[in-house]
Amino acid sequence: MALRVCGTALLFSLLSAQFAAGQVRQISGRVTNTQTQEGVPEATVAVMGTEIVAQTNNQGIYQLNAPDGDASLVVRAIGFKRQQLAVPASQPTADIALEPDPFNLQEIVITGQATGVERQNLPNAVSTVSSSELNRAPAPTLESALQGKIPGAYIQANSGAPGGGYQLNLRGVSTINASVDPLYVVDGIVVSNAAIPNGQNAVSCAQCGGNPRNQDNPVNRIADLNPDDIERIEVLKGGSAAAIYGSKATNGVVVITTKRGQVGKPQFTFSQKFGVQSRANELGSRTFNTLDEALDVFSDTAAVTAAFQPGRSFNFEDELYGRQALSYETNASLSGGTENTKYYVSGLVMNDEGIAINTGYRKQSLRSNLDQVLGSNFQLQVNLDGTHSLSERGLSNNDNSSTSPFVAFSVTPSFQNLMPGGGIHEDVTAADFPVNAFAASNPLQTFSLLTNEEDVWRIFGTSTLRWTPVQSARSTLQFIGIGGVDYFQQDNDLVSPPELQYENADGQPGTVVTSRSSNRNLNAALNLSHTYNSSGSEEGTQWTTSAGIQYEDRKLNVTQVTGRTLLSGQENVQQTTSQSVASRIEPVRDLGIFAQEEVLLADRRLLLTGGVRADRSSANGDTEKFFLYPKVAASYRFVQPFGGVEEFKLRGAYGQTGNRALFGAKFITDTTGTIGGQFGTYIGNRAGDPTIKPERQEEFEGGFDATFAKGRAELTLTLYQRNIRDLILEQTVAPSVGQELRVFGNGGRMRNRGVEASLTLQPVQSRDINWIFRTTFFANKAKITELNVPPFQTGGFALSLGTFQIEKDSSPTQIFGLVGTDAEGNAIAGKVGDANPDFQMSFSNDIDFHRFTLGFLFDWKYGGDIINLTEFLYDGSFNSKDYLEPGGGADRANRLGAGFTDAYVQNGSYLKLREVNLSYNLPESITAGLFGEAIRYARLSLTGRNLLRVTPYRGLDPEVSNFANQAIVRNIDVAPFPPSRSFFFSIDLGF
Amino acid sequence: MTRTTLSRLLPVLALVGTGGCDYDIANPNSPAVIGENPSAAQVGAAANGILIATRQDLADWALDAAIWGREAFRIDPADTRFVQEMMQGPLDPGSRAFGGDHWLEPYSAIRSANDLLAVISTASSLTPEQQSATSGFAHTLQAYNFTIVLSSHTQDQIPVDVGRDASAPPAPFVTNAEAWNHVIALLDQGATELVGDAFPFTLPAGFAGFNTPATFLQFNRALRARVAVYRGDYAGALTFLSQSFLDPAAPLDRGVYMDFGTGAGDVANPLAVSSQTSENFGHPTLETQAQLQPGGALDQRFLNKLVKRPSRSGGTTDTEPVQTFSSDLGWIRYPSPSSPIPIIKNEELILLRAEANINLNQVVPAVTDLNVVRQTSGLLAPYAGAVDQPSLINELLYNKRYSLMYEGGHSWIDFRRYGLTANLQAIDRPGPPPDVIFPTLPIPAAETQPRT
Repeated sequence: MALRVCGTALLFSLLSAQFAAGQVRQISGRVTNTQTQEGVPEATVAVMGTEIVAQTNNQGIYQLNAPDGDASLVVRAIGFKRQQLAVPASQPTADIALEPDPFNLQEIVITGQATGVERQNLPNAVSTVSSSELNRAPAPTLESALQGKIPGAYIQANSGAPGGGYQLNLRGVSTINASVDPLYVVDGIVVSNAAIPNGQNAVSCAQCGGNPRNQDNPVNRIADLNPDDIERIEVLKGGSAAAIYGSKATNGVVVITTKRGQVGKPQFTFSQKFGVQSRANELGSRTFNTLDEALDVFSDTAAVTAAFQPGRSFNFEDELYGRQALSYETNASLSGGTENTKYYVSGLVMNDEGIAINTGYRKQSLRSNLDQVLGSNFQLQVNLDGTHSLSERGLSNNDNSSTSPFVAFSVTPSFQNLMPGGGIHEDVTAADFPVNAFAASNPLQTFSLLTNEEDVWRIFGTSTLRWTPVQSARSTLQFIGIGGVDYFQQDNDLVSPPELQYENADGQPGTVVTSRSSNRNLNAALNLSHTYNSSGSEEGTQWTTSAGIQYEDRKLNVTQVTGRTLLSGQENVQQTTSQSVASRIEPVRDLGIFAQEEVLLADRRLLLTGGVRADRSSANGDTEKFFLYPKVAASYRFVQPFGGVEEFKLRGAYGQTGNRALFGAKFITDTTGTIGGQFGTYIGNRAGDPTIKPERQEEFEGGFDATFAKGRAELTLTLYQRNIRDLILEQTVAPSVGQELRVFGNGGRMRNRGVEASLTLQPVQSRDINWIFRTTFFANKAKITELNVPPFQTGGFALSLGTFQIEKDSSPTQIFGLVGTDAEGNAIAGKVGDANPDFQMSFSNDIDFHRFTLGFLFDWKYGGDIINLTEFLYDGSFNSKDYLEPGGGADRANRLGAGFTDAYVQNGSYLKLREVNLSYNLPESITAGLFGEAIRYARLSLTGRNLLRVTPYRGLDPEVSNFANQAIVRNIDVAPFPPSRSFFFSIDLGF
Repeated sequence: MTRTTLSRLLPVLALVGTGGCDYDIANPNSPAVIGENPSAAQVGAAANGILIATRQDLADWALDAAIWGREAFRIDPADTRFVQEMMQGPLDPGSRAFGGDHWLEPYSAIRSANDLLAVISTASSLTPEQQSATSGFAHTLQAYNFTIVLSSHTQDQIPVDVGRDASAPPAPFVTNAEAWNHVIALLDQGATELVGDAFPFTLPAGFAGFNTPATFLQFNRALRARVAVYRGDYAGALTFLSQSFLDPAAPLDRGVYMDFGTGAGDVANPLAVSSQTSENFGHPTLETQAQLQPGGALDQRFLNKLVKRPSRSGGTTDTEPVQTFSSDLGWIRYPSPSSPIPIIKNEELILLRAEANINLNQVVPAVTDLNVVRQTSGLLAPYAGAVDQPSLINELLYNKRYSLMYEGGHSWIDFRRYGLTANLQAIDRPGPPPDVIFPTLPIPAAETQPRT
């Protein structure tokens, strides 16, 4: 490449552009709905071959200045079919009626970096989620708002802790040891979804047993986006749709577009929500009826005798997680603009109170999106979003110090009082709490006095300059330059005062962990797109050519200082007698070049497309090499092919993508430490692969979309197969090498096959009632088809406690455990489950009835096993609720003792009522009286999230992952933060 | 058609990059493995790195082997494997902890030493003597790490070719006898290499008194003596002991220690736990079998290392007969996070000499040495029991058990060598499955892949 686009800036040197304005004339008119004859607000009316666009008002009326002569208008509105209309030079008015398009067949869906096609021609199963679908019920973070809305996506909360921590997995397992998360692109720039541990390991000691995986329950940072700012989300699920994103796209791409201002008077919206979160579930524990029974289990006679009182038992979970504090969320936005300048400004203030003592999630954000027309050829978009969040998540997950509440509860008999005599209040001190004689910690004391805060400041800024030097009815040429920065700073402060019960255990009372992390994603891109229409009208063949270059520079910097033996009353890490520092820096630079051609022909029925992307990256072993990712796709629309079917589209697509190795996979290094003040270097635990390259996915996708029953039903079906090769593996090596693990590419191949289907029905549509029902289905099966190493186990804690076995011709998520002993008494390993669900379905209903709207969404996962080690902990302490029942804790523990893991590998199926929303639009007579004539709407809503749950799973929640976001090692339940349900009342006003 | 005209002046689009276009980003987080011509500082870091790598397993080893040798229980409700797997089995070779432990870390230390040994001769900033002394240091620590592997694995399947390429098939197994010979060769080679006045690096405080090639040689010979005793070479052991730092007149705790600490980057001693609330317990037989001081108090070594605490029980209650056990003894062996753990100390050397003499039927010097330890360390009266070999062996094992308590599985190793582990099993549970004292750990699953 001759172009140098490294470094920090793309500078456009734009010498000149002459802006010539011709004669103009005015056209005005009204856009209406063909069925109801009502005006269609917010429709756009564009003059073909120009950049002139107007927007309709609430009554559907528009007005625009067109060039002299005959004009051709194109009218679009969300939920309606596009309409084109010729307006002769002499005609000053033009009314247009739009046909409803309930399935959004004509919305534009992106197919490249700078181009898109209408959904009706789309060759891939791209899922889109609109703003209204996203914000049906208040959600703590973006991912929870997406649960159940994307066929092909498995979205799972890692725990119930406030503030997020979710994994979004598209079309099944696509890797074993490379990156897990999809690529998030917001307004054209790649943003970070890093998950940075909070440092609680210093207290929980979860990794003290040598477990290499962090168990701090981190938040992945896409949580910082305000869902209310999102106009739409497009989910490119795999290689065939996402190939244009190249070596980062194997896990799919989530393309997020934020809201923008529209031409018209300033519009102000305001939404106030109040609600509560409450505990969704509890485990309970064993009740001891007699002192003898208690003494049988707990041998500390003095402690048992002191604590036991017949008939007295405490519900620890209620005491710790029983809080129902008032949460609120305020959203406001102001938008509007003229033909030259448009603006959208929004603000969010949110306060989610957690169900546990001293937990919660607060977020504030401010966004400004501006559009400015610079002469007739240039358009500038500037987006700036600043967010701040503060989350307090207490402690949870596995530990080795009995500090995580459910670990401590598992060994604490219910007759032990943990609550101070005066209850928990602002001024409570450590000494007020009873000592837990049965565990190292009293979790009520811990949560009352421990601080574990995550404070995040984040700025997204994007500037986009579009230059359209050529624009005619036949041909349009556009250059788009995008520059953007996503920067965040995350401060984690954990203070565990020396007075806490467990703090004496290591001889160093008091722990402080101060973490300062920052991440910068710098993006620069230059794209060009050229469209050529052979006839200058809809009938012509349309060629869309696009090409571009993209540069991304990322740097993650994490510094963590752990201090031990803290001066009483202090919080600064400096006030500790011993400090240790951990720091990691992860810089990556990527460069990508792409080109794509799209042809729409045969009366817009046939779409053919092909493209290629070339990527190089500093993360590869060979940093010079460009890796190529091609794609081709086609679709054909049959219009009214047979009776009852309006439209039938066949589509097929093929594409390749890559997946990045985790940072550091190419390095072979020493590790460092000190001993008695002397610095030392010794061999690192893991050997990197200096020749590492991205994994490669090939995806074939085919399917159809059919609209029938007079446009009231839409059925889509997609089948796909993805073959992933050059798997990056982290293999356990013979330890006599001196290392435990080795990273290497070309480790094998994996195959995913799946089916996605959705059926949308509009059973009733009338002036009074509009009912849309939608159901989705998704099933995926993965198989390791080639493994260039012996089978190996990964994740979990031990074979006996369930681990994942990677072997040829098996599912990568199969769970292995003990399945008995052989004649010589040796344990036998075997399959005891699989974390992969058999299928997932969702059912949603949106019913508009007069002024009422009712919406609800059920999310059903069938199958998928979970390793329930929380129950193992309770059973091991003879303290589970069902310990003495037949088939209960004692039987499970004995079965494990006899060499069978299966008692703790449990079915994780669930049916959840994700969202319920009932809202009422106040009649204008009332709203005008209350708020004046300026009001556009006023709405009252009751919403709920996760209100109902049906599951055979015995743990707290079948959505659980002790090790957070993982390709394989999910679904392990160790003392998680319990789930909650939320219930909100909201008022929405629009002016 | 648009009337916009721009044909005359074409905009010039320039992309100007600021900053370098460097895609070769070195690892910003960790140093590369030591390479050719290392500086003195790199050699020093690599030498101390061997110690840090060696230390990785030390506390774990002291705790685990104490459980196998019934010096301790760990009654941890959060991890019942300390009771179930470690005392009843089966030991799981698939886990890095418990059954699969005490393998990776010693091999990692041996590998780290190999990385240094591979380049030490190219260190142009060092004198040949300094290079040689560094090799002697590295070989000695390799030998020590092999003894951990060999003491915990007696199945005749030990690789000694350490540090092969990770992508190559694993190194072949040799028998334990061959491996012990390898250890002896490493120690003897190290002994010849330990020349010159000083090491080209500073060693941590735990090596105070043993931080020059000449004094480090005494440590090397002490290890050599221990290996000789383990191998039944009692005459040889006496020779090596005479070359070690054995000195009945010196403090019995004089020796080489592995440091722990709370300084930056250091590791606190994980065995420095609360005597009253931690999960680590003393085995009750240590109290019931302790000999009495003339004043009636228990053996001072018991009093120095264990203390009473609230009782806790482990095991299962719902079987018939109830299979529980309990202890009310808490550890005070390592009082502070910076308490060091001994590698070998004078007290052990005296007992090794006693052991060699007993086996050579040299009763008088044996009893003399036993009494030094009994009287100085245990505050007991001189030995007054029978002086036949079995009685003296029992007395020796008693003293090793109390003198070297929680210092690296001495009970387990010593009682096993004499086939007397049954003596350690006083209160164990009858089962099923019955408690057992395992003779060995299984070879870790990761090591038993197909090999060349």
